[in-house]
Amino acid sequence: MESKEKSQKNFQPDRILSYFQEEWRILAAVTISGLIYNIGLLAGPWFEGKMAGCLADILGDKAEFRDMLTLAVSYALVIAIVQIARYLKRLYVRRFANNVNRQMKQILYGTLVHKSRQELNQEATGSVMTKAILDVDDCVEGMRKFTTEFFDTGVALAAYAGMLLYYDWRLALLGMLFTPFSYLLAEKMKTIVQRTSAEYKVQAGALSTATLDRASNAVTYRVYGCEQERQKAYEQHLTQYERAAVKANIWSSAMQPLYRTISLTGVLFILYFGGRNVLGTGWTAWDIAAFTTFLSCFTKLAVKSSSAAKLFNAVHKAQVSWKRIKPLMQQEKASHKISIQKPSLLEVSDLAFTSPDGTRIYENIEFSAKPGQIIGVTGAVACGKSTLGKTFLCESPYEGSIRFGGKELQQMTPEQRTGIVGYLGHDPELFDDTVKNNILLGEQNTDVKQYLKAVCLDLEVSSMKQGADTVVGNGGVRLSGGQAQRLALARTLCHAKPLLILDDPFSALDRATERQVFDHLKELAADSIVILLSHRLYLFPELDQIVWMENGHGRTGTHKELMQSQPEYAKLYLEQEGGAKA
Amino acid sequence: MKHEERVSKVILRTIRLHLLLSLGILFAVIGAIVMALLPPMILGIVIDTLTTGQALPVFLVILYYIFLALTGITESARESLLTVFGQKITHALRSSLMDKYTRLTTDELTAQEPGTIVSRFVGDVDTVENLFTSGIVSMFADACKIISILSVIWFRNRGLTLVLLVLLPFLFWFTRTVQKRMLAAQIENRQAVGRASGYVPETVHNIRTIHCLAKEDYMEERYDNAIVDSFRAVEKTNFYDAIYSPVILILNAVVVAVVMLFSASGNPAVLTLFGMSAGTAVSVINYISQIFTPVESLGMEIQTIQSAIAGVHRINEFFQLDECSWEKTQINTSHTPENASPCVVFKDVTFSYGHETDREVLKNLSFSVQEGEQVTLSGRTGAGKSTIFKLLLGLYEPQQGQVLIEGMPAAHIPDTDKRRIFGYVEQSFHMVPGTIKNQITLYDSSISMEAVRKTAQMVGLDTVIEQLELGYDTPCTQELFSQGQWQLLSIARATVADPRLLLLDEITASLDVQTEKEVLQALQRSAANRTIISISHRVNAKMGRVIAIS
Repeated sequence: MESKEKSQKNFQPDRILSYFQEEWRILAAVTISGLIYNIGLLAGPWFEGKMAGCLADILGDKAEFRDMLTLAVSYALVIAIVQIARYLKRLYVRRFANNVNRQMKQILYGTLVHKSRQELNQEATGSVMTKAILDVDDCVEGMRKFTTEFFDTGVALAAYAGMLLYYDWRLALLGMLFTPFSYLLAEKMKTIVQRTSAEYKVQAGALSTATLDRASNAVTYRVYGCEQERQKAYEQHLTQYERAAVKANIWSSAMQPLYRTISLTGVLFILYFGGRNVLGTGWTAWDIAAFTTFLSCFTKLAVKSSSAAKLFNAVHKAQVSWKRIKPLMQQEKASHKISIQKPSLLEVSDLAFTSPDGTRIYENIEFSAKPGQIIGVTGAVACGKSTLGKTFLCESPYEGSIRFGGKELQQMTPEQRTGIVGYLGHDPELFDDTVKNNILLGEQNTDVKQYLKAVCLDLEVSSMKQGADTVVGNGGVRLSGGQAQRLALARTLCHAKPLLILDDPFSALDRATERQVFDHLKELAADSIVILLSHRLYLFPELDQIVWMENGHGRTGTHKELMQSQPEYAKLYLEQEGGAKA
Repeated sequence: MKHEERVSKVILRTIRLHLLLSLGILFAVIGAIVMALLPPMILGIVIDTLTTGQALPVFLVILYYIFLALTGITESARESLLTVFGQKITHALRSSLMDKYTRLTTDELTAQEPGTIVSRFVGDVDTVENLFTSGIVSMFADACKIISILSVIWFRNRGLTLVLLVLLPFLFWFTRTVQKRMLAAQIENRQAVGRASGYVPETVHNIRTIHCLAKEDYMEERYDNAIVDSFRAVEKTNFYDAIYSPVILILNAVVVAVVMLFSASGNPAVLTLFGMSAGTAVSVINYISQIFTPVESLGMEIQTIQSAIAGVHRINEFFQLDECSWEKTQINTSHTPENASPCVVFKDVTFSYGHETDREVLKNLSFSVQEGEQVTLSGRTGAGKSTIFKLLLGLYEPQQGQVLIEGMPAAHIPDTDKRRIFGYVEQSFHMVPGTIKNQITLYDSSISMEAVRKTAQMVGLDTVIEQLELGYDTPCTQELFSQGQWQLLSIARATVADPRLLLLDEITASLDVQTEKEVLQALQRSAANRTIISISHRVNAKMGRVIAIS
């Protein structure tokens, strides 16, 4: 991480070369150990040949045990060195991939987290980013394979071929004649392999979807008497899946031994002409050792070359993923510290909002509030009160004016705004983390207990097995709706701002709890202005002012005033009061 | 239940059904083992012929290649046959799982998490497939390979066999240790990766909160922590991955060196064990490197088998879940005398859910609904209104008494008649994958396109649907319609087969006023000449006679 700081200046996240440069130390280690290993690979066959030859000589009394001893010991030693080099190479290649993976993901995530909600919603950027992060894995895997195969296939093949040519160039050429055929065939087959495996993936996806559908709609199907029919349809999926799976697997796994066999065809010439070489009637004079070395080198070359296609596949795959990630790789924005602004006066005048598609959502909103006041906003379903709440986030431009401390909200920098507005929407937006972390979100020097208590969640949390360290699950699934709501409220209170917008924070609470939470809210947010959007009106008589929204228009007044001037408001209030008492 | 399915039964049935295929696999497996032994043997002869200064007979050269080629071909055949066989087994297993699923009691059906079902049907079955393609069969093959190589070497160089016999257990232990550690690290990594990739959609979803609370840096740090966890786990895997092959190959080299030394020692006592010709030496070196590969695979196969056993266990558990007993009782379906007039009859019904027999949800409940009547069931939460529907829908059978629809026990109405007798509008719409038409027909091919259009018109969705580019063939996504429109579609689904009885379950509970009005109007249109039973909390709902359930 320190090195990241240092080289940040020259580092261009959208150039793949940058990542290689960044890791040059590791790559240097890979190069050295890779060369030692791959060239050292020749030692195996060479020594094996020599030892066989030496044994023949000893049996023929042309050599001594000492010769064999030297050979055998140096054989074991050389192999050990070569293998240690291999170990280092493998380890470093993987470390390289690991580092790049981490760095790419950090950059991508940094880009993501700084994107605005609009940007994320547009053209499904959110899901594009999600896929991009998966693409990183493919891309890095490709980079790793490229680095690995560059040595293991490229260098090794060259070394083997060089050795063969050195021993007998005519025979080497003759023997290697068939290797390209196997490679060509593999290349030709590649399209079939890719097609069948793509088809297999499609079928696997379809099968999962069909299974999930059958399971999630099981009761619906049973009620409508569709089970037999669904079972038949599932059987069809199974048949198609079986067919696709067999094809894909046969093409990808069963062909490998055949390619190897084709590359090995050259062995016919090597045995025949090599045999003549040993007998002195061939192109070059060989001993048994040379014959064995040559044969074993050739076998290794043939097996290796059947995997040469892997090198190209890896590069191709990495390119495809990289192309998708590249436009998203931007330099991280500098982190911005926000400072919470002082409490101040809020003035809203002639506020109106038109949604991007041109519909007028509301107009004529007019009110002002001092620190410590609570403003209620209500109206019929879909009257635009949630939109009014979101207007304070300035995600889309509004008409009219919202002034905090005399300054127009829309004209502030996002950092300034963040220092003023706290917002809690319908969706509690909880994180898959512990209760404690969900409230603090990295905040230190404060105790979660007071916030849990404020939202009347303290007893429920302490009855959980792991207390405040209980993980709430994805989106808070392990909590009830009311618990999730209160946890989100606790989080908002923990990050108190001078202006708090709370959209229906009590909708899932019973009346008694609502009452208690409301009292705590008043205490904890005594210096803030709270705008409470709600369709439940029990508490409205106690609020400082109320904005009643009807047919897109806002009327502001106290509860009493509205009870008299707005018959619909009065009706709604009395209905709820009456309904609750009954 | 006398017909109890088990994984082993399914496998045996598959083997019996594809006897030829199974025999083919047996031949291919044995063939591949034998074939792999032959080339090194011939190579030995070749070397020895050359050492004696004789020319190589051409047929020997060709024979060597033919055996090489045959090794490749038999291996390829083995892989192909195994793939086919493995897929046959997966297919059979999934079929019988689905068969079982269809026969589950409603209690068990609703107790199963959809995600769990998918992992049973897809994931666990795949591990059983692996059991065949890369488990038992290859394990057998590898074990045979080791034994056959050892026995061939025995005739060439007894000493080497002894060295290998001492070495192999150690080798195996080393392999298993490395593999186990690697697996643990991989699981750790997968968890960390899962955590990290879960953060991404979560961030997208919660971006408003993140920006609003200025938590960008905190989120980046949190994400990085997950990445670092996976990074550490991967480093561990990397270590084991990098160390394994070098250790094995160094060992290989040491064994070769030792054998060569012994056979070159010239000591007659040693030579009785290690003596060999140069040709034998070459073929022995060849065999030694061959014996290390199956040991490595053997370790992997044990792992595969272990996870497959867990899969088999879970599948067998699924096979033991409770099944409906309705098929048996269907025989005593006889029309009761008073079947002529009332559409729905509850006669002294007592019911409790299967697992809680002490808590009776309904006790001696009796009521009847005449044909063409509109009835609302009312009562406080938990009074059993939904249970009455479940009994009417035939999802459960009462412990005592009778639930009759048109004189027939509700649970025994054949699947094919259900939609013609009753339509059920659920509280919320359950979307099935497919087009708008599929939503309405639920893939029932006997429902004509015309009926679909007519129903859509009746619920007032026809213009909306026809405005879509693909009309009724538009693939459905959640965003396609509003909540109210989905509810209308749900009514269309219930009424498309023109049922005589309509059951409505709190269908306006989650709707706003305007949409509720539309839905109710659509219902009025569909209500003509139908018996309607609805559940509603709203007392003011004007839906005919009220039956209070307490």
